Amino acid sequence: MSARRNTESAGGPKPGLRGAASAAVERPNLSVIVVVTKNPQPLDSLYEQFSSVFEDRGETFEFIFVGEPWTREHLRPVQALAEWGHPIRVFQVGDGTGESGLLLAARDRCRGELVVTLPSYQRIEPHEIPKLIDRVRDGAALASAARIRDDDRWVNRLGHWGFHFLLRRLVGTEFRDIASGVRVLRPEILDDVPLYGDGYRFLPLLAAREGFLVEEVEVVQHQHDRRRKVYSPGTYLRRFIDLIGLAFLSRFTQKPLRFFGLIGGTLVLVGATALVVLALQRFAGTALANRPALVGAVLLTVLGVQLIALGLIGEIIVHFSIGNRPGYRIEESFAESVDSMGAATEGGGAEDDGDPTGAEGTEQTEPPARHPA
Amino acid sequence: MKAQPELSIVVPVLDEEENVLPLVERVRAALEGRHTWELLFVNDGSTDATAARVTAAAFADPRIRLLSLARRYGQSTAMQAGFDHSRGEVVVTMDGDLQNDPYDIPRLVAKLREGYDLVAGYRMRRQDRWLTRKVPSWVANRIIRWITGVPIRDNGCSLKAYRKELLDRMCLYSDLHRFIPALAAGTAAAQMAELEVRHHPRTAGSSSYGLSRVWKVLVDLLTIKLIRSFRLRPLGLFLRAAVVSALAAILLTIGGAVVLAPGVRSLTFATVVLLLITLAAYLFMLGLLAEFFVRVKSREHSLAPIATELVA
Repeated sequence: MSARRNTESAGGPKPGLRGAASAAVERPNLSVIVVVTKNPQPLDSLYEQFSSVFEDRGETFEFIFVGEPWTREHLRPVQALAEWGHPIRVFQVGDGTGESGLLLAARDRCRGELVVTLPSYQRIEPHEIPKLIDRVRDGAALASAARIRDDDRWVNRLGHWGFHFLLRRLVGTEFRDIASGVRVLRPEILDDVPLYGDGYRFLPLLAAREGFLVEEVEVVQHQHDRRRKVYSPGTYLRRFIDLIGLAFLSRFTQKPLRFFGLIGGTLVLVGATALVVLALQRFAGTALANRPALVGAVLLTVLGVQLIALGLIGEIIVHFSIGNRPGYRIEESFAESVDSMGAATEGGGAEDDGDPTGAEGTEQTEPPARHPA
Repeated sequence: MKAQPELSIVVPVLDEEENVLPLVERVRAALEGRHTWELLFVNDGSTDATAARVTAAAFADPRIRLLSLARRYGQSTAMQAGFDHSRGEVVVTMDGDLQNDPYDIPRLVAKLREGYDLVAGYRMRRQDRWLTRKVPSWVANRIIRWITGVPIRDNGCSLKAYRKELLDRMCLYSDLHRFIPALAAGTAAAQMAELEVRHHPRTAGSSSYGLSRVWKVLVDLLTIKLIRSFRLRPLGLFLRAAVVSALAAILLTIGGAVVLAPGVRSLTFATVVLLLITLAAYLFMLGLLAEFFVRVKSREHSLAPIATELVA
């Protein structure tokens, strides 16, 4: 993901033009990344509305606008603001990068402790965003906005419902609004989540699958977001294909043969059964030579074998790739730190030590230890 | 940092709050004075007080360690995480449900030191349900032995001892923990022994298994066969399948044209023969692709098998 062509970068705000709030901060609290995509609303108004919320809360922040070359016109107003000294940086990435690539390019440049991602049009009321920030500061790795859609148009609600119905069925997750695009997250997440293609859209889901604590927070939907949104059939088809791909990857990344083998094995079974039936009928007197069913049965078997073979290729790929990266994330480890603490004389621990070893099978008293929240 | 212990006991746990502390006590009693050890619990996304109880025990005794995975990954990955973080020369795995007996650990270790890379426990009088656990297990072990050719009678017993060098050459993922002996033989040419171990009935908590895993195990068998026998020469497997398909085509040509219907020109038969020839070609090409992939990837992996030094 090349960020070399960031010639549009404002090169940092000119200090002294504005007040303290807009002065460049070495490590701001928030890096707000706006991935500029189709039909953006005026970006300067987006900036003003959200930045005033952050200013009211006393947050230090930087805004990063990132877009492909065709968004240059849309980026011009915020560039002007940047030249006035607002904490805004603008980057341009080459054509065809896509949302995931744009986000990664921006992540490379951001300096904040937390990342806020916003779509380039308003989906939620700006004053709701602190809820998400608080959630991440309270321990979540990612907080995603779930729009309350009570006042939305029925077309939008129907599309939303259908998409999430399929998401539940195919992928098996309980996200209520995966694609709101408004998220607050710890920037490290973006280093660990495999982000490409449509990953941007499904970021909360991918992060949860990597073992990060992901929470959805209900927020008020912005009125602009309630306008009637109907897309071309191609868009709906693409969304559906995204879901299929996601469903496959989320279940079978480590075991491709379970998928190909199940389908292939079924086909082989059906084909072989049909062949047996045909063979029996042949001996009962029905000539076999000109029965299309024979071709059908062999075709099914052949296809089944091909699918199983594909699954085996997948297994070889997995087997030789899995060792390169641990396939798990550790949330908490009392493996290394405890050594330096030695035998810290916690109340419960000392009792345990004193216990006779004859405690097998009997109920232990519960030590007053740290309980998971 | 403490000195390296002789033994690392790796115990994956999932919702075993009732069993954790009794297990600690038993391990302590079984190993005290015999070995230096560490007991590494790998918490695979428990939702009960398992982690809290292990933490409390770890505060009291630095030999007890806890690794909490961020979500539930499954037993294979949990065990691999434990292997990755274990420090002992010898690693012992066991279940967290008290069905294995820690008093067997010194025997396993002694056996391992006779010159084996892996010593697998063999549950003598298994204390489980007959119809849902024992019979499927007996059948599965038979099939596994037959398909992989690794003469281990009890693949499902978690109580096993490993040389650390073996674990460095092997990676558990997916659900391969059911086939550890075959995996060890396939990836590291490990030398293995079996040892009878005790088996206790479950006293607390509930079993996380069921019968529904049968079809998964069947598919996984194909995977483990691939790893065991064709890992470094996948073309061999694909070529065999291709030859079978080509042979079927030839037999059908002969049988169909000469014996069954002499003189009859059948489009159906011709189509079937052509299909089988296409399949053979396809399988051959896939085999080449697999071979190519293994060659490319082999640079990233150490392919050295594990060797045992013989002392005269």
